[in-house]
Amino acid sequence: MKKQLSCFALAGAIRLLLMTSDYQTLITDRVEVSTALNSWKKVTEGVYLHNAGIDPYSGELFHESPIGLLAFSLMQKYLSIFALHVLFIITDLATAWILASTAQLYMAELIAREKEEKSQLPAEKAKDNICISVRDTASASILYVPATYLLNPFIVLNCVGLTTTVFTNFLFALTLFSIIRRSVFWSCLSIALLTLQGLYPVTLMVPATIYIAGKNSQTCKVAVAKIILTFLTLLVTLLYASYYIMGSWSFLWNTIGFILIVPDLRPNIGLYWYFFTEMFEHFRWLFVASFQINVGLLYIVPLALRLRQDPMLLAFSYLAIAAIFKSYPCLGDVGFYMALLPMWKHLFRHMQQGFIVSCFLLFCTVFAPTVWHQWIYSRSANANFYFGVTLAFAVAQIFLLTDILFASVKREFALRYGLSREVNGNKAKLLLE
Amino acid sequence: MRYLIYLVISTLLVYGLPYSTAQDDFFDEELLLKPLASGHVYAYFQFTTLWEAPNNVQTFQHSHLFPRGLGEIIGRHKVDELHISLTEGLWNYEKWGYPVHDAGSGAEIFAWFNKNVSNVNNEWKSLTNALAGLFCASLNFVDSSNSMSPEFSFRPTGIVKEPPNSSYLRYSSLPREIVCTENLTPFKKLLPCDSKRGLATLLNSAYIHNTNYHSLGIHFRSVCRNAGCTKSSLELRQTVSLVYDTLTEATQDWSIRKLFGIGIKGACPLASLSNVYIDMTSNETVHVYQLTPSPNTKVTSFRGGQQQQLAVYDIRTYSNRGMFNIAAIYTTPKTSSVTYPSVLYANRYIIGYGQERGSLVTKLHNNHWQSLDVILLENIPWYLPVYLHTVKVICNGQQIKPLIQRYMPGRERTRPYYLELVLRLPPHSVTKFSIELDYLFLKWQEYPPDANHGFYMGPAVITALLPIARNYTALPLDGSTITSSFNASRNGYLVQLRTESLLISLPTPDFSMPYNVVCLACTAVALAFGPLHNITTKRLVLKNVTRNWKKKLLSFVKRLTKDTKDKTD
Repeated sequence: MKKQLSCFALAGAIRLLLMTSDYQTLITDRVEVSTALNSWKKVTEGVYLHNAGIDPYSGELFHESPIGLLAFSLMQKYLSIFALHVLFIITDLATAWILASTAQLYMAELIAREKEEKSQLPAEKAKDNICISVRDTASASILYVPATYLLNPFIVLNCVGLTTTVFTNFLFALTLFSIIRRSVFWSCLSIALLTLQGLYPVTLMVPATIYIAGKNSQTCKVAVAKIILTFLTLLVTLLYASYYIMGSWSFLWNTIGFILIVPDLRPNIGLYWYFFTEMFEHFRWLFVASFQINVGLLYIVPLALRLRQDPMLLAFSYLAIAAIFKSYPCLGDVGFYMALLPMWKHLFRHMQQGFIVSCFLLFCTVFAPTVWHQWIYSRSANANFYFGVTLAFAVAQIFLLTDILFASVKREFALRYGLSREVNGNKAKLLLE
Repeated sequence: MRYLIYLVISTLLVYGLPYSTAQDDFFDEELLLKPLASGHVYAYFQFTTLWEAPNNVQTFQHSHLFPRGLGEIIGRHKVDELHISLTEGLWNYEKWGYPVHDAGSGAEIFAWFNKNVSNVNNEWKSLTNALAGLFCASLNFVDSSNSMSPEFSFRPTGIVKEPPNSSYLRYSSLPREIVCTENLTPFKKLLPCDSKRGLATLLNSAYIHNTNYHSLGIHFRSVCRNAGCTKSSLELRQTVSLVYDTLTEATQDWSIRKLFGIGIKGACPLASLSNVYIDMTSNETVHVYQLTPSPNTKVTSFRGGQQQQLAVYDIRTYSNRGMFNIAAIYTTPKTSSVTYPSVLYANRYIIGYGQERGSLVTKLHNNHWQSLDVILLENIPWYLPVYLHTVKVICNGQQIKPLIQRYMPGRERTRPYYLELVLRLPPHSVTKFSIELDYLFLKWQEYPPDANHGFYMGPAVITALLPIARNYTALPLDGSTITSSFNASRNGYLVQLRTESLLISLPTPDFSMPYNVVCLACTAVALAFGPLHNITTKRLVLKNVTRNWKKKLLSFVKRLTKDTKDKTD
């Protein structure tokens, strides 16, 4: 507890110090931190236009949902700059706190499940099974999850850059927490809010449904129907509320349409910007469609089937896939799913690419601002340099995701058959077949 | 006798008909020469055609002096008022005063359409395409993505039946347009005498395109035919504005022959007025020069508190002696003195470095002792998104609140950012307007050839009614010819300043990369797809893989033999 408190205090102090320093404008202007979707400058512009009686969705600068517009205009109206900074910090700290509670519940669940699985195994097998038990890593995981969130430089930059991703991350944490608490209303509400803002989080409905429907097959169907109905009702209500706020449906084009069609080609850490800058015009729609299917649809069903025993890992994979492949990703998204990683500390032993991935991430973090400066300011490099860095960053994240999923599969295997890699005394290799 | 009748008829045909009552149009040609205090000479040609006819399609089916090509376009697209200017160079308002017609660099066009036009955008697009053909200018690049309908800046200058509605107005500027001989030739062809006779013979491209500033203009509107304004006439003004630099020459003397390469041969026979005016106001104060030959008449004009001396040459009286030249011989050495600066002038520039973001700054200088109300129109292309909440209007360290503000955010590839402010400039002040902007990243095919040259941004337009007519040369709204500006004191003197057009260098991608980028990005996607596909569709098994090549070969042979055995069985 003492450790956690000091972690929170340290994180709050770092954020406050950076926010009041001159580095704040530098950080908030970074393309890696602020994208078209989450930049506070664009929110300010949208609120200003709205207050001036001009439809903010008639322009190209504002892409938050109307509900976000309402919330942010209230914030800008009643909060001073300092209070606003404090609000961002508190939201970030609250996110970490919710994540800590989520981790606690999830660890308890994992320990229970592991016990159950072990009890099903024959006694002699369970005995020589020397896999790392979740029980051993649980306490560390609970401590590391909020610490990773609070002290991750990506998240610190995200908070200091005053991006609206701070609030989306809060909602994400709330979603995970309410999923694990099996609260139908709260999980549906937070997912609906996230969907309205960013569209892709709608995939989180799958782990939520799996969790809440539970294992009981009789009540399962009713529960599934109930949660889907609740979600749809909430989503429609929120959409209608947005329509009521704006007086027209024009916001749909500038929020969901903007995410799907990818008209903004300002560089970010994702793959889209250079791909669609260099796209041949008659192939644009084909590739827009295939990229959107890749991030939104392709992996939903296979991963859901494979990871149905562990919906939290499923939610993590969806979050990671969205953060890698979505149209306007930012460091805040990356930092959020990385903060969840310590929950699977017991899998780290089975991971193989940790070193490569961390080197990749480190180098990309250093190289991105460097080549950006060379391209945009000193004009001694060109766009390819920055594209290369974002490409490497995406590949590193892909390696991280596939590695952790492989690790989970391997651990499953090891729990059942032990760690030994021998078949009839001969050395054998683990293969996917 | 028969021959005599033929002769009479043919004489009637040639000379009689143009002046008969059947033809109700007039053509005037005028040239105003004004030595500027900075040592430049401003030459302004105006060819005015007045046609006592209503503005409709039927009118333009038969034309006499009015250019038929232009008339048909105007009639077909139901244009009430049309202004086109093709300009090279920048008018220096601070030193040169105000020109007769303000024009921004490059091509600039604005038009008022008739109220019964249903789809103004379509009509506008087709009008600019037709005019592009007529003037050999790139006006066909005008479309909704670079056009706007400002509410205050442009008002109809001709007669209107109802209060103007700016949704029938379209304004666009193409700052990249380069004006050259190919525009001058079709321009001259619209004149009744072409460039064969009259003042138009002076328009030789070699001399025109050597000037510091040259601007061609076409201004069409409806004007009142009589004092009661019961009937309307059509007025077409074709203008050429030139600014010559005499200081770089050996002597400061100038003459028609030196400026245009040829003397005046005679008046256009179709013209009812054919005059050359020389503004001698600055003679004996700033410069000292003698005009030869001496003018027919000298006119003293009082206008807006300013006195103006003009020498008037009627070409008809001089041309019977053959080709003639008007020269100004300076009796003092070269001078370039400072006069009163203009009442109002403006500058515009971009601040910030790098190709990520910057600020657009417009500086408005008010040299008058009273405060001035001005309309500032910012025409910002869609590839420079601006943030309205960052607008700052600062004067003497204090923020000024605009009296009226109109803003329409732009949309990528469809609409520019339109911002119009009405500001009250304090007396003797410099007001700084600034707004923050981003540089947009475009698709690779949207960059022009030589993408690193940059993109041009059209000028801002500053409209004001000046209380005094210092350095003011424009015609009054109710006048058609230069003579109408003599002794034309009014309540205010309308100026529409154009600022500099800016060159902005947007960040560029690598244009040779499309295939590579498609391959690399798709590889990244495939890197995720492969393992995820494996994890989700396959299961883990332990397999013996440590066999060496001998064992592999053995097992292969075994399998083969087993297969053949199976087959023989």
